[in-house]
Amino acid sequence: MKLITAIIKPFTLDDVRHAVETAGVAGLTFTEGQGYGRQRGHTEVYRGAEYAVDFVPKARVEVVVNDEWVQRVVDAIVNAARTGKIGDGKVWVSPVESLIRIRTGERDHAAL
Amino acid sequence: MNPYPDWLSPGDNAWQLVAATLVGLMSLPGIAVLYGGLVQKKWAVNTMLMAFTGFSLVLVVWVLWGFKMGFGEPLKLGPGILQAAVGKPRSIVGTENQHQAVIPLLDGLMPQFKFSETTLAYFQFVFAAITPLLFLGSVVGRINFRVWLIFVPLWSTLAYSVNAFLLWGGGWWAQSHTSISSAWTTGALDFSGGYVIHLAAGTSGFVAAAVIGPRLARDRDRAVPNNLPMAAVGAGILWLGWNGFNGGDPYFSGANASLAVINTNLATAVALLTWVILDIFASRQRKPTFLGGINGMITGLVAITPAAGFVNSFGAMIIGVVASILVWLSWNYLGRTRPFKKVDDTLGVVHTHGVAGLAGGLLVGVLADPHIILYMGNGADVSDVTAAGWLWGHHPAQILIQLGAAVTVIIWDAFITFTILRVLGRFMKLRAPDEVLELGDIGVHDEEAYPDETLVTGRQSEPAVERPAEPTALKHAEAVES
Repeated sequence: MKLITAIIKPFTLDDVRHAVETAGVAGLTFTEGQGYGRQRGHTEVYRGAEYAVDFVPKARVEVVVNDEWVQRVVDAIVNAARTGKIGDGKVWVSPVESLIRIRTGERDHAAL
Repeated sequence: MNPYPDWLSPGDNAWQLVAATLVGLMSLPGIAVLYGGLVQKKWAVNTMLMAFTGFSLVLVVWVLWGFKMGFGEPLKLGPGILQAAVGKPRSIVGTENQHQAVIPLLDGLMPQFKFSETTLAYFQFVFAAITPLLFLGSVVGRINFRVWLIFVPLWSTLAYSVNAFLLWGGGWWAQSHTSISSAWTTGALDFSGGYVIHLAAGTSGFVAAAVIGPRLARDRDRAVPNNLPMAAVGAGILWLGWNGFNGGDPYFSGANASLAVINTNLATAVALLTWVILDIFASRQRKPTFLGGINGMITGLVAITPAAGFVNSFGAMIIGVVASILVWLSWNYLGRTRPFKKVDDTLGVVHTHGVAGLAGGLLVGVLADPHIILYMGNGADVSDVTAAGWLWGHHPAQILIQLGAAVTVIIWDAFITFTILRVLGRFMKLRAPDEVLELGDIGVHDEEAYPDETLVTGRQSEPAVERPAEPTALKHAEAVES
């Protein structure tokens, strides 16, 4: 089992969700986050004073899948989240030791 | 039975009470949510509580001695201006104030009031109350809360009463002084408080900010607002509340009140648009900003305040444009020079209230239109009450009179604010300690503006709750078991 974590632009979330679903995975988790990478922040002006805002809003998407599904889902996310402009985000894959579905107590692959 | 004495007009009384309530709404919730939304997230609660306590404190002072100091019999302190600078302190908590209102020094100079003294006292109270709330904007983010609770009553007594008496209570600056100059036929004109309220608030706030000291350096560097929609609510209440502010000051619900209302709205609309246009074409970022628009709005409201019922509507538009340009320049350029840069006037009250009030007050001396009738004469021996500025009266004297009154208010309010705070500073810390300032609302009040229920673990120190008596059968069962 693998955990796929994607940091994406918030406005691509709906496309990503749709792509993950089409790839055959039922369920993902999304959290709001603030981050920076090569994409620079922006300035905000309040009452005539300029403030630098270095962090930009990002969406963090997490999906746990079977090993053989990883490539498919990662490709789906990357395609859906890509705008070609700086700040599109990153996707990484990490191993998952074990998994339990809380409601039933099912473990690992059965819990996916 | 008759609900109305002969002298009382239900229409005038009703309008005066409605106007007063509109002005009251400008403070609560107007200023409370405007300032509460403009400050950093960690100061929203502190700001709102200072607004609510300030309003309450002024009302108590007002009925116990303040109203009469502003609008009562003159307290003769000496020659010249000292003869009519402040009224004798008297309370109005008795039953006498059911009688017809009268401002002793204006008796005979204006029509007889058509409502009771209580109406006049409450109407004038809401003006007295909003003034400290306005300069609260200069000192938020560091003033010791307890200092605020003592400073407001003292300031209201020693500064506001004098301002009000001098210009509205028939005091020295409201009088003609033809013995000094033959052109001095009218006193200084301040329709609704360009000087008494706004110039006073701008001056006092700036001096208080200087004496108390700045916010934390980190807070000054990151002074971003926490809730612009809440600021929009406050700003909107200010604008429409101003219909009572300026529309109530003729004291009668006649044609002059209507003119004052439309002039107020017109100057405000023009000033708001002027600021937005300046932001688009002349600001560093070349972008219109909402808070810029709000600044323009406040500038227009403040600048038309001394003029609302003296100028025609074209004059009102001129005041809107000129004041907005002046305050925009003051905000964006003067504000970046010493001493404005050094003194930490948190919300820039010295610009939007001080500079705008002064600009409006001087412009009355130019634009007051003698064809605008404040009170009608009888067509024979009593002439209409009007005012004429330079443009119409062809004499610049009124501008000098306006300037003289402005300088008086600036000097007195600066002096008294400085003195009160210096004296208080001998007994208590004017500025909250740094470790409290770092925490903000939580440090001062143990409250925060947007608490998160999911982060709350549970109640500490549960209050002693009466527990329901245990069923006797159970007790019995336990007893048997043991």
